[in-house]
Amino acid sequence: MTDVTIEFRDVSKRYGTLVANDHLSLAIRKGELMTLLGPSGCGKTTALRCLTGYIRPDEGRIFIDGQDVTDVPTHQRELGMVFQNFALFPHMTVQDNVGFPLMIRNLSKAERAQRVAQALRLVRLEGYESHYPRQLSGGQQQRVGLARALVYRPKVLLLDEPLSNLDAKLREEMRFEIKEVVTRLEITAVYVTHDQAEALALSDRVAIMNRGRLEQVGTPEEIYEHPQSRFVAEFIGLSNFLEGYVQAVDGDTMVVSVGGLQMRIPVLAEAGPGQRVLLFLRPNEVELLRPDDPGGANVFDARVEKVTYLGDTLDYRLTFGQGLTLRVQSDAQRRFGQGAPVRLRFPRVRCWAITGN
Amino acid sequence: MRLARAYGRAMWDARLVLAYTLLLSLTLFILAPFLMIALRSVGKGWFGRLWLPPQLTLDWYRWAVEVGNIPEVMKNTLIIGVIAVAVSTVIGIFAGWAFGRRQMPGKEVLMAIILLPRMIPPITYALGVAQIFYTLELVDTYLGVALAHVSVCAPYAILVLSATFEGLDERVLEAAGVCGANTIKRFFYVVLPLIMPGILASMIFSFTHSYNEFTLTLLTYGPHTVTLPVRTYLAVGDGYWEITSAMAMLMVVPSLLILAVIQRRAKPEKLVGGFKGV
Repeated sequence: MTDVTIEFRDVSKRYGTLVANDHLSLAIRKGELMTLLGPSGCGKTTALRCLTGYIRPDEGRIFIDGQDVTDVPTHQRELGMVFQNFALFPHMTVQDNVGFPLMIRNLSKAERAQRVAQALRLVRLEGYESHYPRQLSGGQQQRVGLARALVYRPKVLLLDEPLSNLDAKLREEMRFEIKEVVTRLEITAVYVTHDQAEALALSDRVAIMNRGRLEQVGTPEEIYEHPQSRFVAEFIGLSNFLEGYVQAVDGDTMVVSVGGLQMRIPVLAEAGPGQRVLLFLRPNEVELLRPDDPGGANVFDARVEKVTYLGDTLDYRLTFGQGLTLRVQSDAQRRFGQGAPVRLRFPRVRCWAITGN
Repeated sequence: MRLARAYGRAMWDARLVLAYTLLLSLTLFILAPFLMIALRSVGKGWFGRLWLPPQLTLDWYRWAVEVGNIPEVMKNTLIIGVIAVAVSTVIGIFAGWAFGRRQMPGKEVLMAIILLPRMIPPITYALGVAQIFYTLELVDTYLGVALAHVSVCAPYAILVLSATFEGLDERVLEAAGVCGANTIKRFFYVVLPLIMPGILASMIFSFTHSYNEFTLTLLTYGPHTVTLPVRTYLAVGDGYWEITSAMAMLMVVPSLLILAVIQRRAKPEKLVGGFKGV
């Protein structure tokens, strides 16, 4: 356990009847970028603020580098933090903003200047030393924020929705920049966001939170390919859920009965015949075929209820089987009109199921 | 077609002329009393139906300074003003912090009570103050008169500083904490510079209110604490309009200086809000 830098141990925080963190336990390894992902109000920001010491948890302990910091005040925790609204000091120049943590630590002026220059080079903001925050663009301000957070080489870098206040194009650019800087400095980072694309692109591991609890912790691939709950699946962008039960298990394949149809999907270790399962399907991973195309396993007849033109793709709402509906996105090359009969094919390996009700 | 355009332009011109005339009249209306005392303070032999004084003189100013004892009175006014500003600002900082940054029960009621001295007729409030001050023997002391002024200065200080503290970005303070600054360093390096414009604004407001205050002074002053407004008022009773006008003009000078400083050095909206966040 020596490679764990941050540990939440059974942390709870309540506001009146609202439970913001419900027995949260999470270990973040040294040098990894962990994202806390969830909708607003899921407790991710509360967790982060427990880590900074801005909020004291009602129960549980928090460890940084093996030291119990639950009762250590914020200013002694040696953290670096980047804020959603940048939170730069408006009355100080870029130079003084970035140098602030060093000034607080009583570093000599020469040393300060050198480290500030280094930090500004890291975020590619040389030449802006004498500017005030209000003279900078959003992206530049956030880079100043990043430089300020990194300048004193903190043990941990915290990022609280750092890209939410930037426009879409810049957001993507900054995403890679942050990732690069964090990787280069081999710093342990906790990143809070509600943007799943951001989380998947940046993280070494993602912790998905819902109503103060952890839903799932894993690498972006694990989370995206194998969500462990309906909430995670929905949050990560899946929109097709089919309920059914296992009819038979045949080697590495099991047959699931869904709305009167038989689907063959990869076997689930814990599922025996009769087990209820929930199937997840991505709208872009279902194949649309012509009604006269040959049938086979996992091919079903369906009917187009509604088509929406999205530019490079078409979004279909289909009905099939006994009252099943499905959203499918396919490229605009093959078009089907409203009411047209089509065939669906579910690629066996792209179907993912979990046991449950 | 061309005629229509010419007609339109003429109407537009007429409207412009009307607007300017009205605006000018209003300005004159506001400035007329001021012009009156300005002329009166330098005019000699200005009686009857004459439009302008026949002779100009600075004698009335000399009289005002010598007979009216203006330097002494000015000193009183300034000392009382400084004490009132100091007390009001300290009260304003603490109360402003509480009002601007804390959720507390009965906030509105408290604010209403603080604003009360300004809302009820000044003479009513001043009578109460006077009675208390006679008991406490605060009448005719600098501190006493200044404290009476605080009752009207402090509400302004509190209002201005509440707004300033409200405008302080919580996240900026949090950022300073994460950067390693403890409470004291946070206050001196971050909070104080950010609320400085608000403090200055509240000091200017407080000072002008103390400087101009009449009713409360009238009921708490004594021979040692005559202030400029009271001295001028007493001179009216003596019946010398020229000397009174000269005093009134002298009284205006510091106000104009302050106004000039505000106009030149700071934008009023900046003074009230502090600068916020980004």
